[in-house]
Amino acid sequence: MAVRESHQETSGTPDPIERGFATLNTLRIGVKAMVEKDGELRKAEILSMKQRKDTPSFYVHYVDFNKRLDEWIPASRIDLSQEVEWPFPEKNEKNRKEKTATTNNKAQGKNQAQKRARADSRDISSTPDLLTGKNINVSKAQRPSKAGGKENREDETPVNSSFIGSEAASVAGTPRPEFEDVDMVDAGYSDSKDMKDEENGMEMSREEEIEKLRTGGSMTQNPIEIHRVRNLNRLQMGKHEMEPWYFSPYPEFFSDVDLVFIDEFCLSYFDDKNCFERHRAKCTLVHPPGNEIYRDDYISFFEVDGRRQRTWCRNLCLLSKLFLDHKTLYYDVDPFLFYCMCTRDETGCHLVGYFSKEKDSAEGYNLACILTLPQFQRRGFGRLLISFSYELSKREGKLGSPEKPLSDLGLLSYRQYWREVLVELLMQEGRESVSEYELAMYTSMTEKDVHETLLVLNMLRYHKGNWIIVLTDAVIDLHNKRLEKEKIKGIRKIDPARLQWKPPVFTASSRTWNW
Amino acid sequence: MTRYGGMGRTRPKKLTSKASIPVVREDQIDLIDDEVQSAIQQVETGVEKAEESEVHLQAAISAAALGKVSEANIPTPETVLSLIRYDELYPPNFSQPATYIRFSSTVEDCCGCAYHMVEEDNVFLKIMNQKRDASIQCTVDQFEEVMNFFEETAQLRQPFAAVDNPPALSYSEMEESFDVVVEDSVKRFAKDIYEHWKSRRIKNDNHPLQPALKFETGQETDDGDPYVCFRRREVRQIRKTRGRDAQSAEKLRRLRKELEDARQLVALVRQRELARKEMLGIERQIFLQRSEVKEMKRKLGVKDDDEDLINQKPKKKPVEVPMFQRPVVPQLRIPQRQAAEDLQLLEDVQAEKENEILRDIKQNLAKHVKWNEGYVDITMAPLTPSPKKTTYAGFRPAITTQLPTPPSSDSSGNANDSSSEGGLRNFADRYDSPVVEMDDDARKIPSFRRRIGRGGRIMIDRRNLTYHCKMEIDPLKLDRFKYDHDDVDDDLVFERDQYDIQIMQHRASMTVKAREQVALAREQAVQAHAQAQAQAQAQAQVQIQRRLQFDHATASASLGTGQTMGSNPGVGAMTASPVT
Repeated sequence: MAVRESHQETSGTPDPIERGFATLNTLRIGVKAMVEKDGELRKAEILSMKQRKDTPSFYVHYVDFNKRLDEWIPASRIDLSQEVEWPFPEKNEKNRKEKTATTNNKAQGKNQAQKRARADSRDISSTPDLLTGKNINVSKAQRPSKAGGKENREDETPVNSSFIGSEAASVAGTPRPEFEDVDMVDAGYSDSKDMKDEENGMEMSREEEIEKLRTGGSMTQNPIEIHRVRNLNRLQMGKHEMEPWYFSPYPEFFSDVDLVFIDEFCLSYFDDKNCFERHRAKCTLVHPPGNEIYRDDYISFFEVDGRRQRTWCRNLCLLSKLFLDHKTLYYDVDPFLFYCMCTRDETGCHLVGYFSKEKDSAEGYNLACILTLPQFQRRGFGRLLISFSYELSKREGKLGSPEKPLSDLGLLSYRQYWREVLVELLMQEGRESVSEYELAMYTSMTEKDVHETLLVLNMLRYHKGNWIIVLTDAVIDLHNKRLEKEKIKGIRKIDPARLQWKPPVFTASSRTWNW
Repeated sequence: MTRYGGMGRTRPKKLTSKASIPVVREDQIDLIDDEVQSAIQQVETGVEKAEESEVHLQAAISAAALGKVSEANIPTPETVLSLIRYDELYPPNFSQPATYIRFSSTVEDCCGCAYHMVEEDNVFLKIMNQKRDASIQCTVDQFEEVMNFFEETAQLRQPFAAVDNPPALSYSEMEESFDVVVEDSVKRFAKDIYEHWKSRRIKNDNHPLQPALKFETGQETDDGDPYVCFRRREVRQIRKTRGRDAQSAEKLRRLRKELEDARQLVALVRQRELARKEMLGIERQIFLQRSEVKEMKRKLGVKDDDEDLINQKPKKKPVEVPMFQRPVVPQLRIPQRQAAEDLQLLEDVQAEKENEILRDIKQNLAKHVKWNEGYVDITMAPLTPSPKKTTYAGFRPAITTQLPTPPSSDSSGNANDSSSEGGLRNFADRYDSPVVEMDDDARKIPSFRRRIGRGGRIMIDRRNLTYHCKMEIDPLKLDRFKYDHDDVDDDLVFERDQYDIQIMQHRASMTVKAREQVALAREQAVQAHAQAQAQAQAQAQVQIQRRLQFDHATASASLGTGQTMGSNPGVGAMTASPVT
């Protein structure tokens, strides 16, 4: 919430949240209402609406819940007996129009005009109600904009509000010095379509985002790209059926289909059962299309090059985007290697999870995205994936860290792994002292991760003028519990001796996109 | 407040990563100041700021902080088992290879025809097949091939169909695209299926029938469209400089040159082969003409060999190169060195073997000794002593055999080259008679060795020489002359000054004495006569002794020349020193 506060500071005018009673008919996108969830009422924001057999249903995001819990609900679950919060007004709309008019009047030359057009087109597409066509969304046009008073409020999630906030702020001081600068930058680019627009903070931040994507090799999702409404309804894959968690840019009309079929081996997607069955009759793939680099009696790892297996890796990314919020499919898969973990049976090697890794990470990340498929979650596979990523780093002789931001599940998994690995090292017989550097060298974790993990576990303390590492009772307890569990269930570990892998070497040109 | 102030005074030392931190258990330390700790504990989670506040994540984090990891649970949507007929769709025929799988086929390679039939196609195909004879039924696969062909052709001809909405391709346009690659079955059914394809295509706004991802189209809407994915990542622009231009020009030039060279090579090879072909043709012609000649000769009755039929190359005269004219230096050097190496090797191997045997024997001896420890050995000599060849190393018995010619200079050169003991041993080994196992008799054979001492002096060591002499003489006689032998050698010569007064006096006194003695002798002359007989006898004895000594001397002298003959006749400094 800090973000919003800062926004309010910058805009200078603290916007009081407008409350009031609503009826079914006045409910619209952006309204926050109390919604019944698992037997209790929670504040939820309406993100989309659709009419189905004359009964409206609402796509809601519960405040302070992860987006994966967003869902379609019938109107009956909305408690209209309580006041709702109306969204912030679309302040900027008026300004924008003014501005467009002025630039048009100026009509300064082709370049500028082009940009204007682009700006406008994106204004339309980047508003959060893109699904308009499909879901009969109440879109901007239907929004009672500029109506003043109560309805001129939009209270969105912090991310969005920060954008709007900065936009508003920039609009306030219209003739911006950055304006010209940005133009110059624009001219410097070879590919102007990548160019973001000019006027205000929002565009600037977006531009920076894309520039970051372009140069950083990051797989992080650009906030503006976050499509807020999940597009697939249900997923069939292998022996399981599941609900997707987030938006993924599968073909657009897949959002109309009840069930999307995913081939378990080639990860191709089908909206039609007939199609899928025909495909299965023809498809001969029985494992990820790469080289097996690790095998024990439980799992195998395959290394798949994004450049050589473009289709498969794209399919994989589309699939994993369904379960990873902060993943972008903005750019292609070429600069990544995909390490796919499989279990084996008589039908083939079944993908359980994977992580991607940049062929050359400028920031020293040893992992970009990591996912255990939801049907296999909570069985310790995530730990194996993390452990494997560090084994690769050890083989490379490098320290590594996962790319940020982490998801909630990612954070918990990593913290657990880090704790277990460090505590195991610290519990070794006869270890009287150790430096963070040594711990990092043993584990291939970065010194920062080592340090922070020790802090989080309250193990690194300042005692009588000296730093000490305290093996707390809680930590020892957890360690012993884990050992007991391993005794009963057996240890699932990555055995470095079974890893047949040399760090691949790529030339600069082979990392980039080309045919 | 005091606490806080205290903390201010003892602000934590900076912790460097290389600093060794002691590891302790919780019970080993006192309670610590929590405020200090909490002040330290600001750690970033790495989670997006907006999501950090999420209820479930916060609950999980605080649960983990309290050590209750099992309670850290983030709810996720459920997955359920599918009702799909899994076993039919995924046949169980995977067998895992023994080695790690290596695989490079792409999805497209593995999935066959890219078009997959939908229900609508099924219906159409059934109706179509009903109209046809049983002999020319269209199979599902063929149908898919045809549809795939239409789709691909449309994509090829109208790559921007998604943008500019052109009308569906006409059949004639499709036909134009038939080429060698297109299978006959496709051509056969294409016409029938075309209308079906077209109607479906029109229904679909002339968009591809199979769901496809949205890629960038180069339009302005791309950026905002969340469905557009997998954009091409731009290659970082390389700055254009004159140097870079020159570089690439140079590259091109080199490439061109290399290609031209290659072409030149091929052209030359062609030329050579043509020449060779021509030569073969001519040879054949010659042969044919010769056989005609032969035929003619036979007809004419000329008796001849078949020499006419074959090429008679004049035999090259063997070039006689006189030995001394050979360019010695460069050619000889290498083989010589090689030979030397070979020799070295052989010697090494031999030495090695010998050492090995000796070591074995020693070990066995040691073992025996160990076994026999604590036992009294009553056998005579249970263990054979190791051969004492070493003490005789380098000596060779002097067996007087007449060599027909002096040994080749090569060997002497070789011996000269090797100034080391090893070289000599080599020499000794080579010329050694194979009598190594010397029995007692053989040991007494006089033997010698040559060695090179300090300053390059060559020395001949002799041994057993005296015994050799004694052997031939009666031991009794030998005993008799035991002490005579030395006289010859140790002839003491005193230096004296003839005109020294003392000596002159002594001489004078001696002459006086002599005179007196002469007088005395005269007196005794008569008596002495009787003793004359005995004196003569004694003189004869002295003579015998002298003759024997002479014999001895000649014998050793002849032996000495023999030695010189056997070794190096041209050695200057040579000392013969008896060795015992």
